[in-house]
Amino acid sequence: MVPLENYLVLSAILFSLGVYGVLARRNAVLVLMAVELMLNAVSLNFVAFAAYLDPDKITGAIFAVFVITVAAAEVGLALAIIIRMFRNSATANVDEVAQLKW
Amino acid sequence: MATEVLWWIFAAATVALSAGVVFSRSVLHSAIFLIGSLAGVGAMYVFLTVDFLALVQFLIYGGAVTVLILLALMLTRQGATGVPEAVSGSQAPFAAIAGGGLLAILMGVAVAVKWPGDVSDKPSHISIEVMSKALFVDYGPPFIIASVLLLVALVGAIILARQEEGE
Repeated sequence: MVPLENYLVLSAILFSLGVYGVLARRNAVLVLMAVELMLNAVSLNFVAFAAYLDPDKITGAIFAVFVITVAAAEVGLALAIIIRMFRNSATANVDEVAQLKW
Repeated sequence: MATEVLWWIFAAATVALSAGVVFSRSVLHSAIFLIGSLAGVGAMYVFLTVDFLALVQFLIYGGAVTVLILLALMLTRQGATGVPEAVSGSQAPFAAIAGGGLLAILMGVAVAVKWPGDVSDKPSHISIEVMSKALFVDYGPPFIIASVLLLVALVGAIILARQEEGE
């Protein structure tokens, strides 16, 4: 069986890719996709820890269900905001949306 | 043994597809790669024998969320003509430093720490019955709060994205 460390390293790689994507990409939808990668890495970590270390084996999976729920709510809201932003300033580039900066 | 080989194949595919999401030049390709990456994480849930989560991952993420993202991508497309925009801003080197540094720290911790218990133990199977009992009985109140959160978020999203009078 695959040891726990493999899952931890895999989720570390996914999370770091997500961090890079959030910081480097300029399209707002791509930033959102990178956030999804990070959320997935975290859920994978929860489930792996629960499967190997938790005597109940279930707590991590329950946590992952709630992470997925909140992520779905977040995607819906974020895409509404992005569409709104595109309608107001005709761009989906996060660098160009700086009305709040002064 | 066969499981381990399969695990490595799926892990490599997941990492490659996630790198595709972040580094791809076309936003549409990124979205397609994202579907594969999320399915790869779903396959990891299968290896961890959490059936329900794997199903949810394939249905909610692979289906609903990616369709939503693709729709938003198409609604916010810039003109197809002209030079393709640079995918990354001037901050990309610093982002690479941040991501690489975090990766080094996380991998160092994951490998160096001696985890308690038998970490090479085969995880026991978590059936959908066990999962539903935990979700509806033991974790009932948080479940209800999560559904209210979803309702409020989706109503808010509709109000935000709505076309207003005179716009």
